[in-house]
Amino acid sequence: MNVDLFGYSLSNLAHRKMRSFLSILSILIGIMSIYALISFGMGLDAYVKGLAEEAGIDKLFVQAKGIGAPGTDENFFLTQDDADFIEKIRGTDQVAPLYMKAGEIAWKDEKKYRFAMGFDLENEGLVMETFAVDVAAGRQLRKGEADAVVLGYNYQFPLKIFKRKIAAGDTIELNGKELKVVGFYSEVGNPSDDANIYLPKEGFEELYPASKEKYGWMIVRAEKGTSADDLADRITERLRKHKGQEEGKEDFFVQTFEDALATFNAILGVLKGILIIIAFISVVVASVNIMNTMYTAVVERTKEIGIMKAVGAQNHTILLVFIFEAGFLGLAGGVLGVLFGWMVAAAGGGIAAAAGFALLKPVFPWYLTFGCIAFAFIIGALSGIFPAKQAAALKPVDSLRYE
Amino acid sequence: MTTILELQDVWKIYRMGDVEVEALKGLDFKARKGEFVAIMGPSGSGKSTAMNMIGCLDVPTRGRIFLEGKDIAHMSESQLARIRGKKIGFIFQQFNLINTLTALENVALPMIFQNTPKDKRLAKAKKLLEMVELDDRMHHKPTELSGGEQQRVAIARSLANDPEVILADEPTGNLDSKTGHTVMDFLRKLHEKEGRTIILVTHDENTARNADRVEFLKDGQIFKRHTR
Repeated sequence: MNVDLFGYSLSNLAHRKMRSFLSILSILIGIMSIYALISFGMGLDAYVKGLAEEAGIDKLFVQAKGIGAPGTDENFFLTQDDADFIEKIRGTDQVAPLYMKAGEIAWKDEKKYRFAMGFDLENEGLVMETFAVDVAAGRQLRKGEADAVVLGYNYQFPLKIFKRKIAAGDTIELNGKELKVVGFYSEVGNPSDDANIYLPKEGFEELYPASKEKYGWMIVRAEKGTSADDLADRITERLRKHKGQEEGKEDFFVQTFEDALATFNAILGVLKGILIIIAFISVVVASVNIMNTMYTAVVERTKEIGIMKAVGAQNHTILLVFIFEAGFLGLAGGVLGVLFGWMVAAAGGGIAAAAGFALLKPVFPWYLTFGCIAFAFIIGALSGIFPAKQAAALKPVDSLRYE
Repeated sequence: MTTILELQDVWKIYRMGDVEVEALKGLDFKARKGEFVAIMGPSGSGKSTAMNMIGCLDVPTRGRIFLEGKDIAHMSESQLARIRGKKIGFIFQQFNLINTLTALENVALPMIFQNTPKDKRLAKAKKLLEMVELDDRMHHKPTELSGGEQQRVAIARSLANDPEVILADEPTGNLDSKTGHTVMDFLRKLHEKEGRTIILVTHDENTARNADRVEFLKDGQIFKRHTR
C-alpha cells in the first residue's frame, strides 16, 4: 500500500472524531489495566526473586504445626532438644530456633498488638540473612541484653503504627515491661513484618517465662554441598523417629525456602492470572467495539469505496486502508493505555509504599511497554479484518449507487 | 481512426427474485480514438448499465467488450480496477468527490493507486486544477465548493492518469444551465484541443449536441445514430 494512503486513513479517523475517540478509549482501558496489572505482577516477581537471592537457597524451616502464626498455638512447639537433635543431623550447618508470640506494645498513650520475636544472638547472621534485613538505624541487639529491643522498620515513622514515631533511645512497654529501643531493622516491604519486635533470647524468656524453650519455628542452614530438599527429607524422617511419631502424624513440618516461595508464587500466579483474564476480557470488549466502529464506517463509506474503486483502487488496497484504520485505533489506544497504565501503576505503587507495602512496587521493562502497544495494534488490526473484507468485496457499481 | 472501445452483442440480465430483467439486449457500440460520442436515451433505456459496462464497473452477462483490442468482458475485479485506474477517467452526475479530502487531494487520489511519486502527483494535480481554473480553490474541501466547481474538480480528477477514455455520466445533471454550459465547454475543449476520447451518457438533447456523434439507446439496444 502506498504510504500516502495512511494519511487518507488518518484523515478519515480525524473526520469521525467522537467515534474514533470512543474506540480508542475502549482499548485504552483494556491496555491500561493489562499494563498496570502486569507491571505490578512483575514487580512482585522481582521482589520474590530478590528475597530468594538475598535469603539464599540453602535455608529451610522447621515449624511446629498448629493454627495461626508459628508459636501462637500453645499446643504445638519445638524444643531445645529438637534443635540440638537437628544440629547433629548430617548436612546441617546451623540451627536458629525462634520464639514468636503476640505482645502488647505501648507507646505514649497508645497500645497495639504485634508479634515479638526472640532469638539467640549467636545465630544473628543466619536470622538476619533469612529475614533479609540489616540494622537501618541505631544498633544491633547484644547477647544477654534483657531490657533492649530492636523494632521493625515502620515504627520509625509517625502514623504507620503509632501516631508518634519512635526513635532509638526511647523506652517502650512490652506486656507491661519497660524496654529500651536500641535500633531498627531495614524495610522488609510488608506491613506485618515491618511491625515486628525483636528481642534477644534472654529478654524474650523473661517476658514469656511459660514459653521458655518452646519455639515456634527454626531456621536451618544446610552445609555447603548439601541440597536443602535432601536435608528437609532427612530432618523430617529423623526428627519423626526421634520424637516417636508416626509418618503423616508429625507435630511439625519442614519446608525449604524455595518451597515457601513456591507456595507464595503459586498463590500470586493464580491472583495475577485472574486479574489479567479480567483485563483481557476488557480488551476483547474493546476489539468488538472497534469491529463495530469499522462496520459502521464501511456502511457509511460505501459510496466512497465505490469512488476509490472507480478511480483505480484494487480490492487489496481497500482492505489495507480499513485494516490500517482499525490497527491505528488499536495503536493509539495502546500508546495511551500504556501511558495511563504507567501513571496508574506508579501512583498505585507510591500509595502502596506509603501504606507499608513496599513489595507492591511496579516495574516497567521496555518489552512490557512495546509488547502492550504491539498487542493493541494487532488486536485493532484483527478487529478490522472482517469489516475490511466486507469493504473490499463491495462491487463498485453497487457502491457508487449507494446513498 | 483506430477503434479504442467496442461492445459486441453485450447483454446484461439482472435477476430480481424470480424475474429476469434484461437491461441490455445485445448492445453494439464503438468509439474511435479522439472521438466525442454521446449515448442518449430516456430513463430505463439501459444508459446507466451501458455506462457501467463501458467504464469496466460491471461485467456483462454475455457479449464482449474490447478496450484497445483487448477483451475485458470477463476479467476479475482487480484486473478491471487496474484498467479503470489507467485507461478510464470518470465524471459522474453526483460529482463523487471524497469529502474528507481537499480538491487537490481528490485530483491526486487516482495517481496514488498508480504509485505515482508524491511530488509528481501533486504537481500534476495542481496543473489540472489550474486547467479547470480552480487553482485558487485547490485546498478547499468539496463541501466548500459550488456544484460547478465540484464538477470541474471531477473533470481534473478524470484526467489524473491520462486515460484513453473519459466517461461522463450526466455531467450537467446536477448543475444549473449556465454552470452546465461551462462544464461542457471544458469537456469540449479537452476533445478539441487535446484530442481526448470522450463518451458522454445523457438524457439531455442539448448536452448531447456537444458530441460528434450521438447514439440513441432504447430498451437496451442502439436504435438510431446521428453524426454531426
